[in-house]
This record gives sequence, C-alpha cells and structure tokens, in this order.
Amino acid sequence: MRVVIAEDQALLREGIVALLREKGFDVVAQAEDGPGLLRILSGHKPDLAIVDVRLPPTFTDEGIRAALEARAKYPGLGVLILSAYVEPVYTAELLDSGGEGGVGYLLKERVGDVKAFVAAVESVARGGTALDREVVSELVRRRDPDGTDGALGALTPREREVLGLMAEGRTNTAIARALVVTPGAVEKHISNIFSKLDLPASDEDHRRVLAVLAFLRQG
Amino acid sequence: MVDEPKSEIDWRAVHTMQLGATGFIVFLMVVIWAATGLGEYFWPIWVWFGLSIPLAVQYAVKRALDGPRRWRALSVHAALSCVSGAILTFIWLLTGFGFWLFWPLFGMSAVLILHAFLTVWWRALHPKREKELTERVDVLTRTRRGALDAQAAELRRIERDLHDGAQARLVALSMQLGRAEDRLDDHPEAAELVRNARVEASNAIKELRDLARGIAPPVLADRGLPAAVEALGERSALPVKVDARLGRRLSPVVESAAYFVVAESLTNAAKYARGAAAKVSLFEESGRLVVEVDDNGPGGANPEGNGLSGLKSRVEALDGILVVVSNPGEGTTVHAELPCE
Repeated sequence: MRVVIAEDQALLREGIVALLREKGFDVVAQAEDGPGLLRILSGHKPDLAIVDVRLPPTFTDEGIRAALEARAKYPGLGVLILSAYVEPVYTAELLDSGGEGGVGYLLKERVGDVKAFVAAVESVARGGTALDREVVSELVRRRDPDGTDGALGALTPREREVLGLMAEGRTNTAIARALVVTPGAVEKHISNIFSKLDLPASDEDHRRVLAVLAFLRQG
Repeated sequence: MVDEPKSEIDWRAVHTMQLGATGFIVFLMVVIWAATGLGEYFWPIWVWFGLSIPLAVQYAVKRALDGPRRWRALSVHAALSCVSGAILTFIWLLTGFGFWLFWPLFGMSAVLILHAFLTVWWRALHPKREKELTERVDVLTRTRRGALDAQAAELRRIERDLHDGAQARLVALSMQLGRAEDRLDDHPEAAELVRNARVEASNAIKELRDLARGIAPPVLADRGLPAAVEALGERSALPVKVDARLGRRLSPVVESAAYFVVAESLTNAAKYARGAAAKVSLFEESGRLVVEVDDNGPGGANPEGNGLSGLKSRVEALDGILVVVSNPGEGTTVHAELPCE
C-alpha cells in the first residue's frame, strides 16, 4: 500500500513513517504543509494520505482544506486525518466531501496503539471508515437521547452502539469482543441496521460505510 | 459628585431655635413699642431689620452651597450680593431715598460679573476635573478592553503552545512506547508495563486537550464566529436556522463572548424548549456586534438563572448588554450587543 504523510512536527512524522515501514507500508513521500501535500499527491498517486489538521502556514484547519481538495481531485484516495482534538464540523465536512476513498479521523495519541492504528490505516486505505471513538461518542452524545429524529430513531440502543463501533472502523469480531456478545449476534444487529436504514443490498463493506455515513450525517 | 463629610449638627433644630428667638424678640419690641405709646420713632423696624440680616445671609449662603462644587465660590458671591442689594434697597426706602441707590448696586454687579467671567475663563483654561474624569474613564475603558484582549490572545497562545509543545512531545512519546510494546510480544509482562505507560501518556494528552478546549473551541479559533455558530446549530438537538452576516474576523474576546452566548442559549433552548425551533442572528451594526437567539418554545426562562447571569457578566465586562425576554407562552429571546470597533 502506498502512503503519503503531511505532518509538520518532525518527531511525530518520522515516528509514523518508521512505524508504517515496519508494518510493510510503502511510505512514498512526506510533506510539511497543505500545498506540499497536494504536490506530492500529484506525483506519487498513493492509496492513502495521512494528514494533520493543523499545518503551516496558518496553523488552523489547513490540513482539512488540503484533504478536501485532495479528495475532490483524486476520488479513490483514502484520507486519514490526525488531530489533536475532536471537531465534529471537520469530520462532517470530510464525510460530506464525496469521493469514493476511505475516510478516517483519529486523535493523534491513537498512533500509540500500534495494532489499532495499523488496522485503521488499512481500513481507510481500502475505502472504509475509521473514526475515533471520541468523535463517535461526541456525535452520539449530542443526538436527542429519545431518538426521535429520522431513520436512526428506529434503531434500538444496542443497534446504535453497534453502529457507533462500526463508525470507529471496527470489524465484526472486534465489535463482538467489545460488547461481549457472539459474532453471530453482531451480524444480526448489523443486518437489522441495514434494513432499518433502508440500505440497498450491495457488497457488505460499502453498506457499512453508507450506514456509518447516515449515522454521522444525522448528527 | 464627591461625597462630603456630613455635619453632626441638626441644622433644622438650630434654625427653628433661631426663628423662635427672633420672633420672640420682635414680639417683645412690638409690646414695648405699643406700651411706650407708639412713639414716632420707627425703631422696631430697625430691630427687625437687624435681626433678619443674619437669617437672610445664612439662608442665602446655605442655598448657594447646595450647587455644584465648581460653581460654589461664584454662587456664594452672588447670594451675598443679592442679600446686600436687598439690605441697601431696604435702607434706601426707609431713609426716604436719602442716597442714590444705583452706584452701590452697580458696583456690586460689576464685581459679580467680573467674578463670573473669571470663573468661566479659568474653567475654560483648566477644565481639570471634568476633563480628568472623562480621560480617566477613557483610559479605564481602553485598558480594561486591552487587558481582556491581551488575556484572550494569551489564552490562545497558551493553547497553541500546548498543542505544539507538550502535547506533541507526549504524542511522540506515546508512539514510541507503542512501538516498543509492539516488539515485546514475547515478553508479555514487559509489554504490560509499557502499555500502562502508554495509557498514562494518553491520559495526559487527553487532559491537555480538555484544557485547550475550554479556552476556545478549535473551529472558532480556526474559522471564526459564523462557522462556529453554524456548527453549534448543526449539533443542537433543535432545528436551528443561522443567519450570520459578518464580513470580518472580530477580536478573540468578542468572538468568544458571542460564541458562548449562542452556545448557552441553544443549550437552554434544547433543555427547556423541546420540540421547538430556534433562530440565531449575527450581524454588525454601527460598531456593535448584535447576537440574537430566538426560540418558539414555552418561554418563562429565568433571566437570573445561573447560565444566563454568567453570560451577562461576561458580556458586560466588554461594555456590552444582554437582555433576555421570556414571557410564558411567547418563546425566549436572548439579545446581546457587544462593542466591536
């Protein structure tokens, strides 16, 4: 898998590069700011870009803007955002930006959990989602607890929980482990979610993404 | 107005005693005058005259002293001139027009006018007190605003430093621990220790993040007020219509105050006006930022409630105003105006 990274903090950037190379990813280029990211993307055509939200020169939301532009330009590109904070606005923009590539939004400290981080990188590179559990819980917390809104209102609390874990990019096995149920039970919940959200029968991965998107956009 | 020490004497009682004594003396004079056969001398009148002078002077001076401090000398002068003029006129009448009244009156008026002129002229040259006070108010307003601006800027700088400094190092630390943990698959006990260390680092990062978040939400610092308010609207449990017409970034302290007005009002609306809709307006009008949050809920909010009174002091610290109108059955309107030159 070909990966590029845009991160201005050298210590973190080099650490991530070393980690990904250890795990067999091909880190083809690195950038330190938004324009740099767009430059290396056009040259290397990677599968995935890992982007920090705050980049020079403005140190505001430079990374998000560059990522949105990149997604518009390269539809298949997966984008994994790293951020020091959870900002639902940015997640929503990323999810709404179209493009077929995967989307991820992780807090920076998640890179410390090597296995989970690598799983997230792989998931996004394959076109899936990987949203930080803080992002997900923020969205769930803000939603009307009575669940009166939209199709999501039809979901049971357990199904919402499963959907939240799906949004984090977890596999069925991982969800089963987290909820202490059997994988079969998780599959049943997921198929209930799909039918309640009226998602067309297509390949499983794509439906997962659609369900997660429906979940998040209604936030 | 400067408070002056209050006198301990009860002037009302003193005056009553004075009037009583005067009245008694006058009565005595009349009795003596009548008893001595209503002599052709009109001496009781002179006694009355003599007695009334101190009373008149006292009364005039006391009235003159009630005026504003800066005109006090002039008004005492004018009061004494009036009393003197009256005395002169009285003597003039009782002495059968024995002298030409004009000249003493003219002299007194001339001196009074000269005094008035000098006073006005002196004030114009040294408009000390008022000007001093006005300047003081200006300076205080400016420095208070400056202090708040500086504080807001400083908070944002601290937030940035936390992000670039401590937080970045902790993230790097956490990542290196993660990589170490990853290589310790064969030594589960050591791996456990390293994992614990990593979790500690993560907790520290989380604490730093919470600290930074309380200063200003990132979207406000990054994109300004309209974007941040839109985000609040999208995240609210109520349907919120946002009408933000702002062409420029305002100072951080104004942005933060306006943001928290909207955030708190929408939180209240979501709590007390379930099922209602809300509208947020933001615009700039003659140097003031106007923030209005309207909902069509049940109304009846308590403007002295904790959240609202906190907002009020926040807004007032910027010389702004915050008004809450919430009649039962008519929804709630929170209206704030913040100076934003």
